[in-house]
Amino acid sequence: MKRPSFPGVWTAFALVFLYAPIVVVLVNAFNKNPTLAGWDGFTLKWFDAAFSNEDTVAALWVSLRIAALSTILSLALALTAALWGRRASRRWLTALDATTYMRIVLPEIVLAVGLFVVFRRLDVQFGATTVIVGHAVFNSAYATVVIQARLATIGGTLEEAAADLGASPLRVFRRVTLPLLMPAVLVAGLLAFTFSFDNVITSAFLAGDSATLPVRILGLIRFRLTPEINAIASGVMLITFVSFVLAIAVVALRGRGTTLLGVRLRRAQG
Amino acid sequence: MSVTSAPDPVAEAAPARRRTRAGWLLAVPSFGWTLLFFLVPLGFLFAYSLGEIDIITFQVHWGWTLDNYAGVFDQLYLTAIRRSVLLSVGATAGALVIGFPIAYYISLQRGRRQLLLLLAVMVPFWTSFLVRTYAMTNLLGNGGPVATVWGWFGGGDLNLLYTPTAILLGILYSYLPLMVLPLFVALERIEPAVRDAAADLGASGWRTLRRVIVPLAMPGIVAGCILVGVPATGEYVVPAILGGGKTLMYGNVVADQFQTVGDYPFGAALSMTLMAVLTVTVLVLRRAGARAEAVT
Repeated sequence: MKRPSFPGVWTAFALVFLYAPIVVVLVNAFNKNPTLAGWDGFTLKWFDAAFSNEDTVAALWVSLRIAALSTILSLALALTAALWGRRASRRWLTALDATTYMRIVLPEIVLAVGLFVVFRRLDVQFGATTVIVGHAVFNSAYATVVIQARLATIGGTLEEAAADLGASPLRVFRRVTLPLLMPAVLVAGLLAFTFSFDNVITSAFLAGDSATLPVRILGLIRFRLTPEINAIASGVMLITFVSFVLAIAVVALRGRGTTLLGVRLRRAQG
Repeated sequence: MSVTSAPDPVAEAAPARRRTRAGWLLAVPSFGWTLLFFLVPLGFLFAYSLGEIDIITFQVHWGWTLDNYAGVFDQLYLTAIRRSVLLSVGATAGALVIGFPIAYYISLQRGRRQLLLLLAVMVPFWTSFLVRTYAMTNLLGNGGPVATVWGWFGGGDLNLLYTPTAILLGILYSYLPLMVLPLFVALERIEPAVRDAAADLGASGWRTLRRVIVPLAMPGIVAGCILVGVPATGEYVVPAILGGGKTLMYGNVVADQFQTVGDYPFGAALSMTLMAVLTVTVLVLRRAGARAEAVT
């Protein structure tokens, strides 16, 4: 055994710090003690209370629907942008990258209030549609980055070969480019889904009466901290965690060079 | 598949041209979306920030006044701005100090072990931001684990919940993975030979870190600071939950203008100011990063 190094011990402590709060939420979701001062035994009553509440269940469905639709929209925007960017001139590529970067870096609150005043001024009805539109603004930017990274690694040789063999551009895209991009598309989609499903600020401003689950959770937290919130939070974590596991599975199984938020994940060797 | 006949120069040129035109169509969705739902809203906010509001009908009138910007310099808002910047800088510095050894350690690992450690850092990042922030309330409250440990070391009653410290810890906690990832990318690129060379030339571990590793990791440090510091300054969720509505940050002040006060032009001026402050910060940081890279 090697002597544990300072960075190693530090990392171990940091991981405990990262996971402890999450574990506490999970454990307390099953804790019988209503004040959560100590462990009183196992119960499922908080889950029962949380998911028999009609508003919570309705908010959950709204969130899932918005996340699914805005993910599809974001992927369409990102795919076209990334494919175009590959053939674009240097100047236009800079323009694409700049607008992508701006959409990621700009504080979300500014985007949210900006869309809010525009829709308000134009008398657009607030609801699920406006939320989907808003989420797609930043989610398509994240998706563009992920897909661009993958496009850079696959090169154009296979597509040129397909074109030389007589495939139409559409056919080349469907049979060559898209399959090669699939891992990145799936990862980008799962990322967009998670971000949309978890979003608070844009949803709070644009949802109107169709409150999403995070907006409802925020309201519950600000009203009073109850054990039920732990149960809802555990449910949300489960959904986002499943999406993460799926993304990892995609990376591990299909794309040995896919990037996840700029970090290249390679299949572990040896 | 059909066999193509001898190439006809005219037919050859036509699809190529068609492809470039079709290529431009691909640019339309993304640029159109960005224009309509990103640049137009920002333009609207800017126009609103120069406008006036009728305090009786709450109608916004276009105008050319700087009164809204003058209002930003009110003590109340300056305090919120200062607090946001301080909390954001504090949390970013904390994340850098805590994240650097983690990223360094992971960069030294190989193969499966490195991958697993990276995933371990990323799982919380992928877990609901809202839930993670909420999770901190369990830890920071009266009688929570933090207060208990504080008690062991002879500290008195400690209730961090709903204080600026809680917000700082909450931001640090939620954004830490965003700091570790770019640091890792930069540190992983450093050849082990560079470290060995420094050691062979007689540099101590500390000196190698300070003179060799940190300068080489500078692009990652800058990227991490931007990824954490910029969104943290406009943070809304963390102060809303861990500040308990008592300690406000810039994001909450902006949201308030639109959700409760209803003074859109002033809210727009606040938003524009936030954007200006952050844009300048990003440019300065990137310049600093570029200079550090040029020196090494």
